[in-house]
Amino acid sequence: MKRSWYATPYALWMLMFTVVPLLFVVYYAFTTKTGDFTTANMTKIFAYTPVLMDSLRLALYCTALCLLIGYPAAWFMASEFSTKKALTVLILLPMWMNFLLRTYAMMTLFENNGVLNSIFQALGLPKQTMIGTEGAVLVGMVYNFLPFMVLPIYTVLNKIDPRVIEAAQDLGANPMRVITRVVVPLSVPGVVSGITMVFMPAVTTFAISRLMSSGTIYLMGDMIEEYFISMNNRNVGSAMSLVMMILILISIGLLRKADPEGQGGGLW
Amino acid sequence: MRSSRLSRTVKGTYLALVLAFLYVPIVIMIALSFNSSVSRAEWTGFTLSWYEKLVHSDAIIAALEVTLEVAVVATVISTVIGTLGAIGIHAMRKGWATVLINVSYLPMTTPDIVTGVSLMLMFIFMKVPLGKGTMLMAHIAFDTPYVLFSVMPRLQQMNPNLYEAALDLGCHPVKALWKVILPEVMPGVVTGGLLAFTMSLDDFVISYFTSSTDQNLSMIVYSAARRGVEPTMYALSTLMFLAILALLLLINRRSGLESVM
Amino acid sequence: MVQDTRLIEIKGISKSFGETKVLHEIDLYIRKCEFVTLLGPSGCGKTTLLRILGGFETPDSGTLLFEGTDLLGVPPYRRRINTVFQKYALFSHLNVFDNIAFGLNLKDPEALGAKTRKEKKQEIARRVDRMLKLVKMEGYEKRSIDQLSGGQQQRIAIARALVNEPEVLLLDEPLGALDLKLRKEMQLELKTMQQQLGITFIYVTHDQEEALTMSDTVVVMNGGRIQQIGEPKRIYDEPKNAFVADFIGESNLLDGVMRADFLVEMLGEEFECVDEGFAKDEPVDVVVRPEDVMIVGEDVGMLTGVVESVIFKGVHYEMMVDTGSMRWKVHSTTMQPVGSRVGMSIVPFNIHIMHKGDRP
Repeated sequence: MKRSWYATPYALWMLMFTVVPLLFVVYYAFTTKTGDFTTANMTKIFAYTPVLMDSLRLALYCTALCLLIGYPAAWFMASEFSTKKALTVLILLPMWMNFLLRTYAMMTLFENNGVLNSIFQALGLPKQTMIGTEGAVLVGMVYNFLPFMVLPIYTVLNKIDPRVIEAAQDLGANPMRVITRVVVPLSVPGVVSGITMVFMPAVTTFAISRLMSSGTIYLMGDMIEEYFISMNNRNVGSAMSLVMMILILISIGLLRKADPEGQGGGLW
Repeated sequence: MRSSRLSRTVKGTYLALVLAFLYVPIVIMIALSFNSSVSRAEWTGFTLSWYEKLVHSDAIIAALEVTLEVAVVATVISTVIGTLGAIGIHAMRKGWATVLINVSYLPMTTPDIVTGVSLMLMFIFMKVPLGKGTMLMAHIAFDTPYVLFSVMPRLQQMNPNLYEAALDLGCHPVKALWKVILPEVMPGVVTGGLLAFTMSLDDFVISYFTSSTDQNLSMIVYSAARRGVEPTMYALSTLMFLAILALLLLINRRSGLESVM
Repeated sequence: MVQDTRLIEIKGISKSFGETKVLHEIDLYIRKCEFVTLLGPSGCGKTTLLRILGGFETPDSGTLLFEGTDLLGVPPYRRRINTVFQKYALFSHLNVFDNIAFGLNLKDPEALGAKTRKEKKQEIARRVDRMLKLVKMEGYEKRSIDQLSGGQQQRIAIARALVNEPEVLLLDEPLGALDLKLRKEMQLELKTMQQQLGITFIYVTHDQEEALTMSDTVVVMNGGRIQQIGEPKRIYDEPKNAFVADFIGESNLLDGVMRADFLVEMLGEEFECVDEGFAKDEPVDVVVRPEDVMIVGEDVGMLTGVVESVIFKGVHYEMMVDTGSMRWKVHSTTMQPVGSRVGMSIVPFNIHIMHKGDRP
């Protein structure tokens, strides 16, 4: 038996449980409940354009905030701290931890009777309604996805040979120039992969918005959940999933152009 | 990048703030799980009663059983399939290997919600009842690539003549796999298995869409959270956090978390 | 001593990888107890030929016989041939003892002359011990592989192969990773080992010096073809074509024309030589070794030229002498100053004439 045959169960499993199911999404998106071909599901999505725009807007804000907060963090982590390794682990740990539990923890802070409000009261400030606002949803998203921005940027920055920076200094670049002309261009692949890793889950999230807004803000992910779980209309849900997926593929494709070699580390 | 003391202080403070942002909510939640008051606003004393409630809740014990059962079985199966898959792909001609590796990235590049609903659709179409079994199949599907990608680098680092050396010394091909290749890639297999187990314990979205009769712990937390905050859930979340934290630290000690992604 | 019986016969073996043909109709026989070296530049097909012998590649056509019977259908694990791999390929999860014992452990107790498992264990220990002595690594049984130096790993790799008492040992550039001094030592040791054990060694290298020092027979390969087969001295003294002359040792390579038997014209002058049987006015390749060019007085030389450069090489000086029509490489123990005019002379015996057609 040739060794390459050992991959057969793997190939079959992946085909059966990742490739084929995606084809079902396409199938359901273009059929009625009785299985006839239709484009009605697709046209029905247009009714949800505002929801889609909200999702895109919040995901963009979230990605921008993550980049703004995450880039310096990654850059500082990559500099010579003696505790670098421990720091890295601490920042990266949350990305593997159940996002639901972390959102739940965040919720505790933001609730009307939550920790933040009791601090405000102790300081003599008025009670704030935070849960249910877009701000709260955004904080929940940034909180969850920040490590996904930090990791790829850190990986790329950490790989920069210190001699390259010394060479730039040697050639007469001042610290500002070193950053703008050497470090930032070299970190582009990491930024690209960070943006993808944050934008994708952000635009499809459902539980974060549900919990942080106690159901008042609806995003695409929430709509899909509604259609599949509560409304039991899988055809429209599939059409929405398909649109989401195409949207994401387009954005990955666009981002890939900025990093054609895909050297951003991480997944992409 | 040598830096002055001032810039080090600035950098250190910034990172400390980021860390605080990431960890303070978790720490507060853990603290509240020991708070005797139901209110989040005040501390009325230490108690373990929420944990006690947890142990006495049939729903939670059942969910724990589902979670562990699915995680253990999914880990075992995906470790076997993934390791064999890595060995096979490694020995394959480049064209096929590239196709399979790209397919392996698919579950990681598809949004969880889409993976979840796509599996749900397939199971419904095939009239497979959504329960523990379908959840297990879905878990194997997203776990296996993690095993594959943990074992692959080990194979690539391996001296390509090792397998041939075993044959040369009289080993049958299947035995050579067992006696030489497997021990050589074992560290990758164990890391991959641990990762698979963690991912399985951790999963919410895909489980949520692929099972309706059986709930895992994350699903319990979600449905409770939608009803509002409840201290029992703090206790449950705390325990889950600690379990996952322990697993992650173990994985990190083996191979560095930033390299396993 | 090399016996006359042919142990391995390779007949018309060809092999391609995709579009590139790496072996063209190779014919070669290897005798019992012979030390054969496959010598050639990288990409010449020598390693592929060795891998075919080991059973790790299958040729596209041709036959391979071992003691007269077909070997191609026999998988590597049933061949009485063992290999010392490039970069050793030791099993890092096993210690030194278990690495060497690997092949023996796979054998039936009876094959080791043992009746019980216990006897087998004892026999294995005995044999491993003997091997460790042979490769001068006694006392290293319990060491892990990562604790060994490159040279020590090399020895363990040899012991691991030899303990199975193969009829043929294949060695794929085994000394490539070692430093010069260690390499010289190991060359001698390998040769001694081969003579002591009385088995056939097939050795692959791109180092011509290594090949000439150790081998009974050198097989020079280039471009997937055998260029010349012969004893080291013969290959050095009588290269069959320009490639062999150039690859083995250093040489001055010239175009010439055979004017008659024992008379070759090159650089516009006629020289006496010892070759005959060429067609009249046949264009030929002429090889002259740098150490065969003698520096003589300017007035008595067959050729005169100006010394362009001098490099001290330890035992001799290497000089480039420009005669106007050609730059000669000359090795001499006496130095001539740069810029001086010198005469050069070559005795007929040292002018090697080769057919043009033999150029690969």
